[in-house]
Parts: sequence; structure tokens; C-alpha cells
Amino acid sequence: MSIRPRRTTKLLVEPPASATGDIAFNLIVFFLVCASIQPDSGRTQEIPRSEEKQEQKEEQQNIEVAITGNLAAISINGDTMRTPELLPRLTGLLKGKSKPQDKIVILKSKLDTPYHHWILVTAEIEKAGGIVTIQREEEQTVTVQ
Amino acid sequence: MKIKRKTLRANVPSMAMGDIAFNLLIFFVILARATDDSHLQWDPAEAVDVTQAGASKVSIVIDAENKYYINGQQVGIAEIAPRIDDILGDAAVDDRTVLLKVHRNASANHFEPVIEAISEAGGTILHVLEEQRE
Repeated sequence: MSIRPRRTTKLLVEPPASATGDIAFNLIVFFLVCASIQPDSGRTQEIPRSEEKQEQKEEQQNIEVAITGNLAAISINGDTMRTPELLPRLTGLLKGKSKPQDKIVILKSKLDTPYHHWILVTAEIEKAGGIVTIQREEEQTVTVQ
Repeated sequence: MKIKRKTLRANVPSMAMGDIAFNLLIFFVILARATDDSHLQWDPAEAVDVTQAGASKVSIVIDAENKYYINGQQVGIAEIAPRIDDILGDAAVDDRTVLLKVHRNASANHFEPVIEAISEAGGTILHVLEEQRE
């Protein structure tokens, strides 16, 4: 008598087709969460509103920082120096000034000053305790008759 | 003889639930992208001390081509101040943050008028920068 091998039944196991929508939905949610927007980071800056009447009076008292064409150099009240010297010099000039209006530093930029340099300079001014105020070169149209 | 009335059930097929949810999701994603500025091309400047920005009503971008965008929509320089004024309205001081995203090589003649406009509208500027790693 010969022993017959036991027959094994092979069943095809498939995921239920009705769940495909749910699987797709969960996959989308997963990828959306993964790709969620990274929160922005940066530096807060409060620039006082310009007051034209007071501007002329205070211009002489306030510290004036001018960004030169050469990014390695900067001018404080007309004295040109290297950019790394800005922080100690400004700290000295602002020392003992407690009123916010005395801490105003007028920043003059060249029209072609790049943003990354402007950010560097304003960071140094704020680190020294100054309040940045920008003074733009105004474009004037002169009509020649 | 009583004839039983056949009750018909009107059910929403549960098979379609996944598809409904999927379509809703796509709808909201498209809606959210309309006010998004992530597709704009600009490289942030670097800074050492940066803080996390919270929620903001206004986001201004000056891209690599010196074009101006408010909340993802391109605008002219003259439109910036009135648009910020409109959006901020009478919002509280804490709610007046304006995200400023300027391309690192943009020149002062492009970004200074924007800073001035934000300042005039009474907004608090948050320069969006990249943390400098030493």
C-alpha cells in the first residue's frame, strides 16, 4: 500500500479591493504630514515711522552709519572703518544713552547694497543697542525748461 | 390579505468613502496652495541669531528677479503699502507681523522701499533668514 502525499490547498490571499481607497487616503495624509511646511525663522525688526519735521532737528544728534560701496568698510559719522569694528565703536557711542530717541541710528545705504550685507550691518547696530532707521536716497525729477 | 410594503434602504455606498475623502483632500490642498509662496525662487540671507516665526497675515517676497509678491500674488512696488494696510487693518500689535523674504543679493533700491512701506503701515518686520552654522 502506497502512502499518497497530502494535498495542500493553495489559497490566493489578496487585500480586499474595497480598502484601496482608504489605503491611498492614508498614504496621502502620511506624505502631506512629512512634507509639511517648515516654520520660517528670522529676525524681528521694528523700524520707527518717519517724521519729516523732526528729521532735520535730530539728524545732527543721531549716529549716522553709511554703507560704502566696499563691503569690507563702513562709515560712522563720516569716519570710515572696517566692518568688524562697527560693533565696539557703536557700543561706545551708545553707552549711557537711555532714551529711545537717543538710540536711533540712521542707516544710509548705497542703491546697490546687497540685502545680506544690509542684514549683517543692521544686526550689529541692534546688538550694540541701537534702533535702526533707514534714510533712503530720494529720487528727484528735475524738469529742465 | 395584507401586502407587505417593501422598504428600500438608501445608503451611501461605503466603497466610495475613500474616494470622497481623497477628492476633498485634493480640493483643500489646491485651495491652500493659492496663497502659498513656496514656489517662488529666492535664497535667504544668513544670520547668527534667528527666532522661530509664528503665524502671520502678510508675507512679502522679493525673488531672485526682483519681483514683488504679497501672499504669493505678484504686485507692483506702489501697491505694497495699500495692500499691507488693507490686510492688517486694525489688527492688534501682536498680530501685525509681516514676513519679509528677500533674495540675499537683492539691492537696497528694491528692498528699502518695501521696508519703508511696512513701517508706514505699522507692521512689525520679520526678516526671514537662514541660521548661520559655524
